[in-house]
Amino acid sequence: MKLNAFYKSPIFLKSIFVVSIFAIFFISAITFKHINLINNSSKWVNHSYDVNLELERLFSYLKDSETGQRGFLITKDSTFLEPYLQAQKKIDHSFAIVKSYTKTDPEQENNLRKLEFYISKRQNYLSATVHLSLTKSLSDKSVREKMLIGKQTMDSVRSQINKMILLEKKNLKARELSYKDTIKVTPIFVYVTLLITLLLISISYIRINRDLDKMQLANNRLTVLNESNNLAEIVGNFGSWQFNIESNVFTFSDNIYRLLGCEPQSFTKGQDDFLKFVHAEDRAYFEDITTKRLEKDNLPSFTYRIIKRDKQLRYFRTTGRIVTNKSGEKILIGTTSDVTEEVLASLSLEQQNIELEASNKELLAFNYVASHDLQEPLRKIQTFISRLSEKEYDSLSDSGKEYINRIHSSVERMRILIDDLLQYSRATKTEKVFEKINLNDLLENAKFDLAQSIEEKGAVIESEKLPRMTVIPFQIQQLFINLIGNSLKYSKENTVPQIKITYKRVTALEENQIPKNTKDKFCKITFEDNGIGFEQEYAEKIFILFNRLHNKNDYAGTGIGLAICKKIVENHKGFIFAEGKPDVGSIFTIYLSEDC
Amino acid sequence: MEKEYIHIILADDDEDDRLFFTDAFEELKINTKVNTFNDGVELMNYLNKPDAVLPNVLFLDLNMPRKNGIECLDEIKMDEKFNDIAIAIFSTSSSEEHIEETFVRGANIYIKKPSDFVTLKKVLADVVTINWQYHTSGLNKDNFLLRL
Repeated sequence: MKLNAFYKSPIFLKSIFVVSIFAIFFISAITFKHINLINNSSKWVNHSYDVNLELERLFSYLKDSETGQRGFLITKDSTFLEPYLQAQKKIDHSFAIVKSYTKTDPEQENNLRKLEFYISKRQNYLSATVHLSLTKSLSDKSVREKMLIGKQTMDSVRSQINKMILLEKKNLKARELSYKDTIKVTPIFVYVTLLITLLLISISYIRINRDLDKMQLANNRLTVLNESNNLAEIVGNFGSWQFNIESNVFTFSDNIYRLLGCEPQSFTKGQDDFLKFVHAEDRAYFEDITTKRLEKDNLPSFTYRIIKRDKQLRYFRTTGRIVTNKSGEKILIGTTSDVTEEVLASLSLEQQNIELEASNKELLAFNYVASHDLQEPLRKIQTFISRLSEKEYDSLSDSGKEYINRIHSSVERMRILIDDLLQYSRATKTEKVFEKINLNDLLENAKFDLAQSIEEKGAVIESEKLPRMTVIPFQIQQLFINLIGNSLKYSKENTVPQIKITYKRVTALEENQIPKNTKDKFCKITFEDNGIGFEQEYAEKIFILFNRLHNKNDYAGTGIGLAICKKIVENHKGFIFAEGKPDVGSIFTIYLSEDC
Repeated sequence: MEKEYIHIILADDDEDDRLFFTDAFEELKINTKVNTFNDGVELMNYLNKPDAVLPNVLFLDLNMPRKNGIECLDEIKMDEKFNDIAIAIFSTSSSEEHIEETFVRGANIYIKKPSDFVTLKKVLADVVTINWQYHTSGLNKDNFLLRL
């Protein structure tokens, strides 16, 4: 969900913060405006009162002057003129005050101008009446007239003043109304804003709390992980380190120090300190590799020697990888492990391998040379004997002839033996040149090779169609020759030898005899005969070099043929098995890997 | 005619083998002239003489001191004047490597030294009476090795 994702994102907290700040600004602005408003309106109330008061006062002064004038008119006593004259001054003063109050209000100003006109008119009539009364009696028509006009003017003044007071009151009321409107909406507004802000802050509080919990949990997990890592390092004989490429700071795990035989965190200068433990001869190599790392991204795995604090020699292996952390810093993290046992084991294994290979080579060379060089004198002995028996046979005594025959057969046997040995050593020694070839052709060649023997025994060979395979051709041909030859050699007397060759493509899983760990596909070829067979207990023995089941006088054979077969099959990543039943026959099964 | 015999040369370091070889030709009723050399150097010295009578068939042992059969074979094949000589490898070994190598380098036939005198005579008789022209025209690895 998008909303949920927003809630969980770090932007959420920031936006809540910004929104809250704005809300608080808004509230304070509104409050400020309101205080201003209240302030203003109370000023206006005061102002209106002041204006009205002054107008009342002005009117009372006018009355004062009228009262004084009337007193004077009635008594003609000049003491009554006193308040009348004083009122005149006070009227002027009061009027000036009202004028100053109302100068912002054009309507009032207009009213005031009319008022001024009425007042001065009234004052004029007052003073005119006073002057007239000095010369004429009160009951005089002109005096009464003036007084009548004076009274009318006074009424106008009153109504004008009343009008002004009314206007002032009306203004005040209007102001009060607008003030009330604002003052009514604002608290709700402020209150709502405050509530929203509180809500947002609460949400963010929950969110922060949850994050804190999560962080705590992660922290706990990290602690456990760290501890188990430490344990793993101790058990696994390795340590880890970090190198911050930007700040050039090395951090080693505790176990690195232990591996060097030091107290954890007992040195702090990073690689310089570590380098002191590296074997003097390996220091340049070590530095070379670690500097080259700067050009590439990863530190390849490399092995070097370490002299521990207790002067013990150990082999260490180090490897590293660059990671970029969330702040974008590049950090080289790596592990260093003590591989002394491994290295020593592989060194001794290597040594053993070299020795083994050398002795193997020697053996093969010896085998080959021996059999090859033995051929030469043997051939000559045979030739000389053949010459002897050809040229001098008739002059020999009967026992001499017998001896010659015995020598001949012995030498013949020796020749076969040497031939077979030579073939065996070739099966081992020859460079393995594989090529894809039709196995049927190789089988035909083998039959051709054995043609004479097949013909002599009248053997019947049936074979299924064989596949094309990648093999060492001459070896497979030899294998066929040896297996068919074997069947011919150990055939029953007075029975037509029958050899059945079958082929099937199989996998390791299908066959019980093949180890299951190989997933390869195999070409399975069986050679079944109706010969003399053998006891099943010898099934493995017959593949061992020089192992024979029969007396050499009964059956010719060197005990090498099947050993060669085994060797050849092994050269093809294959297996050979034999099954036998005395007087019934034997079955030889070969598996050749298709993966050669 | 002077040229009615078949000229045959054998290069072999083994005295007995040379003896069997010459004996065999003596007993064979073929008109041949047989020369033998003790090693490759002697053979090449003879062949490179300007007045040398070149053989019809040259039998080369492979394993000889100083200069072996393969080296002789290479030198002979490089020189056009020896083009008409049929070369038979005559060796104790019957290893595939030797057969393959000499075939590739241009020998005409490969003979494994027989171990009985009667067979030896038969082989040599076969080889010198082969119609070489016919034999070489269908030359392939299968008929290269003389099977007996």
